[in-house]
Amino acid sequence: MNRRALGLILIVGAAVVASGCASLGVKPWQRDLLSRQDMQLSGNAVDDAIDDHLYFSKEASSGGRSFAGGGCGCN
Amino acid sequence: MQLKRDEGGVRRRLIAASCALLSASAGRAQEAPSTGMERALSDWSLDSALAYYHEDGRVQVIEPVVSVTKAYGDGASAGLNLTFDALSGASPNGASPSRMPQTFASPSGKSLTGGKHNYTTAPGDLPEDPHYSDLRAALGADWTLPLERLLTASFGAKLSYEDDFYSGSANASIARDFNQKNTTVSFGASYEADSLHPIGGTPVPLSNYALFEKTGNQNKDGAGLLLSLTQVMSRNWLSEVNFSLDRFTGYLNDPYKIISVIDASGDVRGYVYENRPDSRTRKSVYLDNRVAWERSSAGLSLRYMADDWGVHSETAQLHLQWWIGERDKYVRPTLRWYRQTAANFYTPWLLDFTAPGLSSASSDSRLAALQALTYGLKYGIKLRDKLGRESSEFNVRIEYYQQTQENGIPGPGALRGLDLYPDLKAILVQIGFSY
Repeated sequence: MNRRALGLILIVGAAVVASGCASLGVKPWQRDLLSRQDMQLSGNAVDDAIDDHLYFSKEASSGGRSFAGGGCGCN
Repeated sequence: MQLKRDEGGVRRRLIAASCALLSASAGRAQEAPSTGMERALSDWSLDSALAYYHEDGRVQVIEPVVSVTKAYGDGASAGLNLTFDALSGASPNGASPSRMPQTFASPSGKSLTGGKHNYTTAPGDLPEDPHYSDLRAALGADWTLPLERLLTASFGAKLSYEDDFYSGSANASIARDFNQKNTTVSFGASYEADSLHPIGGTPVPLSNYALFEKTGNQNKDGAGLLLSLTQVMSRNWLSEVNFSLDRFTGYLNDPYKIISVIDASGDVRGYVYENRPDSRTRKSVYLDNRVAWERSSAGLSLRYMADDWGVHSETAQLHLQWWIGERDKYVRPTLRWYRQTAANFYTPWLLDFTAPGLSSASSDSRLAALQALTYGLKYGIKLRDKLGRESSEFNVRIEYYQQTQENGIPGPGALRGLDLYPDLKAILVQIGFSY
């Protein structure tokens, strides 16, 4: 695939995603459920940090939810 | 007629809503922090936990974590977090089980005979250094700053210290809201620099373990990019997708891991230190979905990661949360499934000390093909202050983790019948308090 075709696909893809997103969502006064603690993507930051440290030291993958990093000599 | 009835209904609901708002405002005015201390603390939040992690027959870790955040009136916030790890117990050294007793030196040892912390592994057992211990202290800071109404910048930095490892990292992100704040796109970059000071020196890669050839300290560093799209799908559905790319270069070995060298009959001839490639590039896609109902919610996250070491992994994590009582308590069961393929240089043993063309080799089980399951359960209770407001939370969490190696190569000769790839079983117990 040449660069031009790839660029065209990316532009069209971004436009489709943007137009799709524009038709989704809620009004500000409809955010009652979304504002709840259990709906926050980083609502359990300490639990997530402890789990990430455990999995980082026992498996070959890390990150995804946020920046992958070391900060630990456990490789 | 129908319209008139509706208008009346709307008017009544508006009046009721106005009364509710007024009474809430009046209530809040009465509930305003009364003392100087309460006023000073009202913009602060604290999140803390004490975790105890125990592997069956191996290491145990005690990990206290404290995180404090101050919110500013303009939407900005600044946070500090502090983590300690105290780790002790037995850690696999990478060698294979054998039909014969095997003797190893501690990382600081210089001889396989008579060393102070030399240890002997019984026939059939997985060789583990029983004197493994480490202390880690990590300090992190983050700062979120609104630049405009729809544009937010975030910065983070972290320092981590262990006896044999120092690490510093920093990251910066920018997020833009669209579509009445229903869509958020963020882009960030990170950098990390690490310095390794292995106990007893850095072993020469792939050198004979019995020769104790060591060199000086080592470094590695890495940089990463993270692109994120968060979308409110409906009143009760939130979705996020992240794309990340990172690359680490430098010394990526575990300096304490060795590999058994065996002959065709399965007898141990010796050991060599492992060696990994000096760069690693990882790509991942992460998808998170949250759905809420009146008294419950669910979250499902999926991650696919691939690197240029040949490791591909899939992760799926599901959690449910039920609010019980007067919505002041909750239970949160969690299930996580993980699977990875082996790194292309993973090998449980070598058949020669100096295999021609061998540039990288590691028997570290964390680079093997494996599958893991985690079962978790959390219980939280909201605590009220003297004015009856929910102001803090106490919670307790327990997790059980089981890791099983897959596609293990059968041992030749004398290794047949031995448990060469034992499961890893661990339990995590955590208590937490937030304010």
